[in-house]
Parts: sequence; structure tokens; C-alpha cells
Amino acid sequence: MRPEAVAEIQRIRKRYPRSRSAVMDALRIAQTEHGGWLPPEAFREVADALDVTPAYCHSIASFYDMYHLEPVGEHLVEVCTNLSCALAGAQAVLDAFASELGVRPGETTEDGGFTLRAVECAGGCGRAPVVVVDHVYHEPVRPEDVAGLVEGLRGE
Amino acid sequence: MADLVSLTVDDRPVQVLPGTGLVEAAQAAGVEIPVFCYEPRLGPPVGACRMCLVEIEGIPKLQAGCTLTVQEGMVIRTAATSEKAADGQESTLEFILVNHPLDCPVCDKGGECPLQDLTFRYGPGKTRMTFPKLTFDKPIPVSPLIALDRERCILCYRCTRFSEEVSEDGLLVAVNRGARSLIATFEDEPYRSPFSGNVVELCPVGALTSTLYRFEGRPWDIQNVPTVCTGCPVGCNVSATIREGKVKRILSRNHSEIDRGWLCDKGRFTYPHLRARDRVTTPLRRGREGLREVTWEEALDTAEELLREAGTAVVTALSGSETTEIAYALGRVLRGGLGAHSAVLPEATSDALDAFRLPLSAIAEAELVVIVGDDPVVERAPIVDLWVKEAARRGAEVVTCSPGGDVQTSPGGGAALCGELAERGSKLGKRLRAAERAVLVWSGPGGGGGARIAELAHELGFAEKPGCGAFHLPSTPNGHAVAAAWSAAADAEEAGPAPIKLLVVSGDEAAADPGVRALAEDAEHVVVITMFQELAGGWADLILPATASLERDGTTMNLEGRLQRLRRTVPPPCPDELTWLSELGARIGVALAPDAAGVYAELAERLFRDLPLEDLGLQAPLPARKAYEAPAPATTEVSAAATATPEHFVGELKLQRYAALFSGPAVERVPELRFQRPEREVELSAADAERRGIASGDTVLVRSNGTSVELRARVSRKLIEGVARVAGEHAGDLHATVEVVKAP
Amino acid sequence: MASNQTLLTAGTEDRDLTRLEEYRAVGGYEALAKARALEPQAVMDEITAATLRGRGGAGFPMGRKASLLAKDTGRPVYLVVNADESEPGAFKDRDVMRFTPHRLIEGCLITAHGIGSTSVFIYIRGEYLHEFEVTRAALEETRKAGLLAGVTIVLHRGAGAYICGEETALLESLEGSRGQPRPRPPFPPVTGLYDAPTQINNVSTIALVPKVLELGAAEFAKIGVPSAPGTAVFSLSGNVAQPGNYERPLGTTLRELIYDIGGGVANGRELKAVIPGGSSVPVLTPDEIDTPMDYDSIQAAGSFFGSAAIIVVDDRCCMVQLALRAAQFYMHESCGKCTPCRVGTRWLVQLLTRIEAGEAAPTDLELLENVCDRMLGRSLCALGDFAVYPVSSYLRKYRAEFEAHVTGAGCPFVGESSIEGIIAPIAQHAHPVPEVVGG
Repeated sequence: MRPEAVAEIQRIRKRYPRSRSAVMDALRIAQTEHGGWLPPEAFREVADALDVTPAYCHSIASFYDMYHLEPVGEHLVEVCTNLSCALAGAQAVLDAFASELGVRPGETTEDGGFTLRAVECAGGCGRAPVVVVDHVYHEPVRPEDVAGLVEGLRGE
Repeated sequence: MADLVSLTVDDRPVQVLPGTGLVEAAQAAGVEIPVFCYEPRLGPPVGACRMCLVEIEGIPKLQAGCTLTVQEGMVIRTAATSEKAADGQESTLEFILVNHPLDCPVCDKGGECPLQDLTFRYGPGKTRMTFPKLTFDKPIPVSPLIALDRERCILCYRCTRFSEEVSEDGLLVAVNRGARSLIATFEDEPYRSPFSGNVVELCPVGALTSTLYRFEGRPWDIQNVPTVCTGCPVGCNVSATIREGKVKRILSRNHSEIDRGWLCDKGRFTYPHLRARDRVTTPLRRGREGLREVTWEEALDTAEELLREAGTAVVTALSGSETTEIAYALGRVLRGGLGAHSAVLPEATSDALDAFRLPLSAIAEAELVVIVGDDPVVERAPIVDLWVKEAARRGAEVVTCSPGGDVQTSPGGGAALCGELAERGSKLGKRLRAAERAVLVWSGPGGGGGARIAELAHELGFAEKPGCGAFHLPSTPNGHAVAAAWSAAADAEEAGPAPIKLLVVSGDEAAADPGVRALAEDAEHVVVITMFQELAGGWADLILPATASLERDGTTMNLEGRLQRLRRTVPPPCPDELTWLSELGARIGVALAPDAAGVYAELAERLFRDLPLEDLGLQAPLPARKAYEAPAPATTEVSAAATATPEHFVGELKLQRYAALFSGPAVERVPELRFQRPEREVELSAADAERRGIASGDTVLVRSNGTSVELRARVSRKLIEGVARVAGEHAGDLHATVEVVKAP
Repeated sequence: MASNQTLLTAGTEDRDLTRLEEYRAVGGYEALAKARALEPQAVMDEITAATLRGRGGAGFPMGRKASLLAKDTGRPVYLVVNADESEPGAFKDRDVMRFTPHRLIEGCLITAHGIGSTSVFIYIRGEYLHEFEVTRAALEETRKAGLLAGVTIVLHRGAGAYICGEETALLESLEGSRGQPRPRPPFPPVTGLYDAPTQINNVSTIALVPKVLELGAAEFAKIGVPSAPGTAVFSLSGNVAQPGNYERPLGTTLRELIYDIGGGVANGRELKAVIPGGSSVPVLTPDEIDTPMDYDSIQAAGSFFGSAAIIVVDDRCCMVQLALRAAQFYMHESCGKCTPCRVGTRWLVQLLTRIEAGEAAPTDLELLENVCDRMLGRSLCALGDFAVYPVSSYLRKYRAEFEAHVTGAGCPFVGESSIEGIIAPIAQHAHPVPEVVGG
């Protein structure tokens, strides 16, 4: 982690009466510093920055869906498959991504370009099916939109 | 006296104090509310397991009884009188058993397992689960001492709450979410905490088990013998589990004032040293061909000969781990029989502290705790560290004054600090004076064995306040009573003889002490009473086998000043010391009883004001405070282990040696404890490290004239400048000042 | 009673209310000035008199909640805003934050004044990155304009856990612990955030406060129904022609919402089921859609108002598959603290998977029912109940469909259900439950 990142964590700590409250943001920062996931080293760094143990940091990170404990691709493609999106045809969208990317849901492409996964309700049910790409909402996404979307990402 | 709260449990009326929890209230009414996750020592109830579901009149949903306190007029129904509650409790057990493996035949917990017991009492008769159960690799080594079976785990979180809320190590945690949750350490690193073993006793199923006890016995095969631990001066109450004449494990016996049911890993896991490879079971005498086994008759002949020849030129080195009776018997034989009064005594606790006596549990009630001294409390008296943490959690202010503390002091600077605190200008001193419940703790060598802290307590007016007190943490488990018993054995005093004709070394700690070994070089002959051949094999003329504390009857006095009863849990592989001391005494005209009760009866007259041995009971009481008697004034103190610094070498850093908890001959003989031993490290302050271009993890050389030790550096943000801290066993022959450089 | 008077989304149709001067142009922050001129208790009295019920799902009156705050504890009083919106079908709070963040901020400041707090935390679900950025920018504008007056508002981002929408789990998460609920008592107004008295309210509840102060309790109470005054933002989704957020007075019926406002069932299909309050509430059948959407009426009909997230299900959907998909959601989101939910949610998934695959026997339906009964009311928090409501209500109201699965006839939709093969995250997790088939 770069010194700037550590400094940011120390700034965030000051917002709260108890410094542990900063752990969620600290883990988020460490995750960005480590290319989108949290290797064991990241937990040691966060632990050091907050005066806590790496075990505690790992305990927190493993509780939430947005922390990745395994490497992820350059692009994170998340397709909501909860009730409303399912009713609106989300599986076909997920299938289209799997086919376009050549990877199964939950897995990362071999070239490390994409991680595809199904997620629970993203909060875009009014414009389902919802796909979140690198934390940006795309709503709605139809199967026929997938190829273009992926091509655009590949171009980046 | 507060008004009691009246309620009924299963139609039984009961009255309890306000604030009582439902589980205890039901207990008072003679009713069981079953629990798994509920354990008051772990902090507020969590309501996780749902085993304690009860029906409360007026509330439609079942309630988790453990999370509630009594209300006037409450009508509680448990499974005994409520079908709904019975269904609730049965369903909790059904859910737990859905994934719980049928391991009972191979599970150490079987037979003493709350899950088994509660299933019989409240659970379903058969399973409706027809799917594959959640499986995990098992067992996982949480550490060399503890095995984890995740399939058996019912996720009651007792272990993680202990790690977070009691020992505050943050090393054992829950990972993942929901049905995928499991207990783990970080990256499979071992759970390295001085208190890790407590999770084995806390675990209500066979998920966390002791590796040393794995497959060693079934509850119906064993006996539990109550005794007291002598690993440190706290004197936790324990039970030794015995099977076929061997100690198989140590459990807590929960003395609410001393240990609260916790044990440290040293006390819990050191018992295998009773069967160490180099355990001495017959006397050994040095002849022309080296050490040879001899009979007891021959050994005592030799001992008698040596004693008669030496006469008064005998020095006795005591370990401070002897029972009071053994120390007294030695005193009667050597001092009474020979007039040999000279001894190297363990550090005794100043009698002046008797005026500020408190039970250890009072620490948790304190509003202010001030700890003075060079050594961390956890290395000297681990359970005291838990009491201090409890105090802090309850809102107490805790101030440590040490080389690495909140108030940084130089090694040996504690006494001066006590003087400062006594002055009117001291802010901390002022807070101490104002507090109704304040505790002083001396943790480290020197300080007059607590004399300085007693003087301070007197200055601060503690004697008048029942909530205020002071503790000295000595370096030996029974040092105070041993020194007192030795003194009481005869009346004369005398200076040390020169030269020493005979050195009598009692106990392993003395045998391992470099200072005692140095004395041995000056003595003509040496008799060593020890458990381990390797300790004295190179330099003793006569080795007499010692028994272990677990094999002794007798008494021991802890740091509170509480006298406790040791009970023989297994017969020793050699005669008890009192037996042959009695015989040896008889040979030189000293009449001495051959057993603990007899010896105690005699010394009790002199030391303990006729307190009968039987009255010490299973949970010994704390004697009342005495009137304050000023201790002898401070003298220039020379630490026994200090070696003079040659004039032409002065290192920049003061070497601070500390005695680690997991050190000593007994601990060294338990391989599973090796990972708890102190690291081969030297601790430096951030400033000192930076000046030398040293970072944490670097290999460094710690040098003093003529000697050099290679260690790993650890930079401490809290350590005072000018100090290098090393565990005593790694410091070798280093002098009082050293230099630290990065290794080439 | 104007049927299209908006309170939460007022002004957003033709102005960009993310900007301070636009918000001021529609009267923004005037209610704050009015409130600050009043005694704190007077502010809370107004909110109480308006019977402003919590829009987070439970519908607990906000004023009454605040009256439970412990006084004179020597500790600060905290205001925590629950912006963790994760209920399947709900997306109303998201619109408040991204279209009218200043209304939320104003609500925070008025409430803070009313309860004597100078410390506000907004816990916003981690996935709402854009909404977080918009709110943060608005907060900065507010700060620069000097409107905070000593009150700090901290935006705390979540990281993906539905359970953190539960009040005490949210507090645990905010404090830096795993987001697992606490036993109650003690309740948050007494012992909440950092052991201090805490008022927790949903985003939309707080965002209604400025209008309550602006209109006054009496005028506010004229909108909606007496037991539940005001408006709610209804989130329509699923097989409805015009899904989206629609702010209407409480008491609007499901029929009005689905047919008059939502354009009816999409693609000309038949209505089969309506879940009125997000996936966590019991399902209603087509003959029940004349029920008014207010807390008491829906409860009388056997369901709950919840997040007012109305999921419309058409006749192409297999209810067993829908039950399984819902069960998989709760299994994924269960925090794992208490036994019935941790074990029960997984057992429900196992049973429903077997039933959907046509490998179950009629006794498995009884078992499914009984597992539901044994979970209901036994868990540490409501998630255990929420996991039960979909399963037990679909089983009760569409029993024939379930029975067809277990009597050898198999799924009546023979691979053609609208949600056939839907893959749930739990089926693709790193530690998969081997026997759970993804679909």
C-alpha cells in the first residue's frame, strides 16, 4: 500500500469515536491498492494501519460480498439474478455474458480480463435486468446488448 | 438491602435480586434453562444459540431467556411446563444436529458434552435430515496445543468472544457469513496467546479440543483431584484429571476471587513434564566414572557425610517453588541440625503489603489501576493481566509505568517513580489519593519485594479504604512462604560462609539459575534436589530426585497472601521429599514428621497462627488485612543476575532481561509448548532502531564486551529509548549495557 | 386529497435537486430554519403529531421512537440513517439519494436538532457508489453554505450485506464489527451506537421530515390514511408493464398501483401473484389486490407493507422455483449468528432444490412446512422470519403446484418457467453446497 493510502486511512479513522469503524473503508482502500482483491498482505497492512490484528481484518472482509478474497479480473461484471430481475429475464443476460466472455458465473477469464458473477438485488429493479460493471449500474441490459458492452470494455 | 424481585418459573415462586438474569433466576427456583452460548464471563449475552427459548406470559414470541433480566411478576415457562418452549428448545437442538457429525465414539468431549446431555433432555429422538451434511477438513491444528473440528462446531462464538473480550488477542475469529461461517486463525497461523487453552474448556462440544488430551481418556475412566497450580504466584485453582495413575490434563476449578475459571497455558499444559525423558527417579552419585545410580540408603549416607563434614559452611539455594513444608523441613535439618543458616532465598514479598491485602477480583472493581515495574504483568502472573483487562473494559483507568508502558520508566526506575507518585505535585498520585477503589501493582524485579509499593500505598492513604490495595508480583510461586518457613525453622542469623564447603540446591529453578551455578563453582561439594538430570548432571556430586507440585501434599501461598492446599494427584516415581528429609534429619538428631500434615502442624504454630490444614478447604479464604508496618528502607539493589560491566566497555543501550512466562525447565520439556516460548528477539525503541538503520525483522548482533548474540530485531513504538529488551534465556552472558548492530 | 402530491420526490420532475441552489428554489432548507427556531421538543412533537411512520419496513412511528431516547446519560445522542436498502424489489431510497440528497440532509439536520444530536451517520449500501458520490457532493455544498451549524454528518459506506439493513446489525457494522444483530433489550434508543442513545431511521423517513415541518402535522395528516399519513414511494417491478418508483398517498390499492399506474401485467400475460412489500413478506393472490397499501390494511390481509416494493408475478412463473430463488437469497444473506436462521435457511434451500428437481416425496412438503414453523419467531432477528414468509406463503397459496412436483408429475412448467435455470450467487460461491444445483 502506498503511503498516500495509509495516510487516507488515518484520516478516515479520525471521523469516528472508535477507530475500528474505519475498517470497512480501510479494506476498500487496500483492495484498490492490491488490484481489486485482498491478499493476506493487505490484511497485515490494514491491521498495522488500525492497530488491530490481521485475523480481525480478515474476519470483517470475509463477511461482506464486496471484498474479494481471491484475485478478480480487470473488469468486474455483476448480473443481478434476484426475483425481479429473474422475472425480467436475467438468466438470459447472465448466459449471454458467460458465452461472450467464455467463462462460468463466479469465475475469472483466463486472461484476467473479466470476472463474471451473479449477485443479489442491486436495487435497480425498476429497470431490470440490472448489470453492474465496475460499480457502475447498467439498467436495463438485454441479451442483445451484451456483446457491445463487452467489446466496449475490452477496448478500454 | 435492595428489594427482591418476585417471579415464578414453571409455577415455582422465587425471589431474586434486581438485575438477575433469567437463567440464574430459574436456577434459584431449581429449574434448568439450557444454554450453549450463554457465559457471563464473556461479556453481555449474545442470544445466538437459541437454546434458552422460554415462554413468558404476555409475550407472544418465545424469548431467549439468557438475554433478559427479571421483572416483577414475570411468569416464565420452560420446556417443563410449556409445549411451545419445549418445541422451541427441541427445534434448536434439531437444527444444531442437522450438520453435527455423529462423532461421539471418537470425540473427546463424549461423556462430558453439553450437546449430548441437552439432546437427551430436550432434543429430538431421531433425525429428519436426509441431505449430505456440511463437511470440512478435520481436525485443523489451531496450534500445537489445540485442534479444531469445524464439523462439530455449533458456532456459539464462545471461543471468539473469549479471544476478543477476555484475552483481547484478536487471533481466533469467525470467518465468512451464514451457513459458511467457520472459526479460524489468520492464514493458519497458530493461535499464540498465553490463554489459548481456555477455549477448550469453553467449547460446549468437541470442536476445540486439547491435542495433549486427544484420545487419552473417557469421563467415566477418570478422577479429578482438586489442587492448586504453582506455575506462577497466582495460584489458580485447578483439577488434575487422572487416569491409571497419570495426570492427563488440567482443568480450572474456578476460584471466583483468584482466577474466575481461567487458566494460562503454562498452568494448563505443562503437566507432561512429569514424564520428561530425563526425569530423575533414583538418586545419582558422582564417582570416578561419573554419575551412577545409588540406593536411597547409599544416597542418604553420602548426604549425611557431606553435611557433617561441612558443618556450618553450608549454603542452601531455594527455588521458591517448594511447598512451605519442604522449605521448613530443609530449614529444620540444615539450620536446626547443623547451624547452617546461610541461604540464597527467593524474592520474598514484603510483609508491609499485608496492610493492603485484596483479592485479585478486586482489580476488576477498581476505577484506577497503576502498574509499576520492568516486566509485563502477563509474563509474571498472567491471570492478573486478565483481571486488569476486565477492569479496563469496565471503564477503569489503567496506567502502566515501565520501559514499554504509558509512562516510560528506565529499567530499575520503578522505585523512583513510586517516590514521585507519593509527592503532592503528582497528578497521577492525586488521582490515586482521590479514588475509592484503586490498585497498585509491582510487576518486576527489585522494588524491595513490594516494599516501595507498600510505602506508596501507605502514603496515599490506602489503608483506610477497603477498595484500595496493592500487589507485588514475585518471580516464584511460593517464594514468600518458602522464605518465611526457612526463617521460622530456627532463630539464629549468620553471614554467608567463605569458602562454601557444601551447596545444597533445592528445586529446578535454583538448579537452572546461573547465579547458583556460579556459586557451585566455588563450593567443594554440591547436592542438588531436582527433577531433571540434564539440569544438574554436569556439576552435581549428588542428585536427589525431586517430586513435582502435582505429586505433593502441602501448602503454597500466592501473591495475595492466601495460603492454599496442594493435593497429591498422582504418586511420584520417587519418595516424597518430606519422607527422606525426615530420615536425614533423624540421622543428625532433628526430629521431623515425614508427611505434610505433620510438618504443617509444626510450622503452623510459628507461621500461620494455628490455622488447621483442613480449614484451608477447597477454596481457601483470604486473610484479613493487618496493621501497616513500615518496611526496611530501600538499599542499593543489585539484581542477582546482573554481571558487572568491565570498565573499558560501555554500550549505549541498557540491557533489560525479562523472565518470560513460557520459560523454565518444566516448560522446556513440553514440545507442544515450544511455539509459546519467547522469540529470539531484541526489542528496540523506534528512535534507537532508526539511528542504527535497523527495521523490524532484521537480523542483528547484540554485543557486549567479549560476547555477541544474534537475534531478530523488533521495533517497538512504546519502548523507552536507550533500552534493549531480551528474554533472559536468549541473553546469554551479555553485560548490563550492550550495543546493537545490523548483522553483516 | 391530491392524488399526485409528492413529498419525497417533490421538485425532482423539472429541477436538478442535487444542487443546493435548485433545492433552495423549491423552498429547501426553509423547514430547517423553522425547526431551529423551535425548541427541540416542539420539533419532535410535530413529527409525533403527524404520525410519521418509519418507511424502512416496520412502520414504527418516528416520534414515538425518539421519545424512547435515554436522557442525561452523559453520552452523546446519535442519529443513524439506514440507507442500506437491499430488500429485493426495493429501490426507493436510491432515488431519494440520487435525485434529492439535500432533502435527506435537511431531514437529518432537523431531526438532529429535535433529538439533541450533533453527530449523524448515514450508512449507505456499498453498491450505491453513484448515490454516495452525489450525496457526498451535496453534503459538501451544505457545509460550505454554513448550514451544518456544528452538526457532523458522516457518510459510511457498507460493503454488501443485506443483514446490515437490520438496525442493530447496522450499528455493529458501523462500529467495525461483523454485521450481526444484537439481542434486544437493550434497545438502540437506550444503548445504540458506541453504547450511546441512538435514533435510527430509514432514509425515506428522514427525507419526509422537511415536508412534515413545512406543511405542519395537520396538513400532512390529511394525505394518506389516518393510521398512516403521508405518501410512500412504491417500487413496482417484475412482470409489470411500467416498472419504476411511484410516489402516492398511503392507502392506494395494489390494483391501482399495478394496473392504473403500472400499466398492468406486461406482455399481455395473466397476473399470478403479487408480493407487496419486498421478497420478505407473504405473497398475495390476484383476488387480494384490492387491499389498500397501508401498514394496517396489508397486515390484516395477511402480509406486510415492508418496503412497499411490489413484485408482480405473471402466470409463466413456477412458484416452486420462485420459492427456491427466494430461499437462496436468505441463505446467502443469513449472518450466521443464530442457529435457526443459519441452519434453517440452508435446509430450506436443500428441500426446495429437491422438490423442484422432482426428487422429493409428499412427506418432504410436510417437512418443509415444519421447518418453516420451527424457524418462525425463533431467530435473533427478523431475517429468520423473512426467509420463512415467501416459502410458507407460496406453499400455502400455491399448494397444488408444489404437490405436482412431489407426486411424480414434476414441474408443471416443464422447463419453460419464466425463471427457469436462474443461478443464485450462493450456488456459485467459493465453498459451494455440493448438492445445491444452480439450476
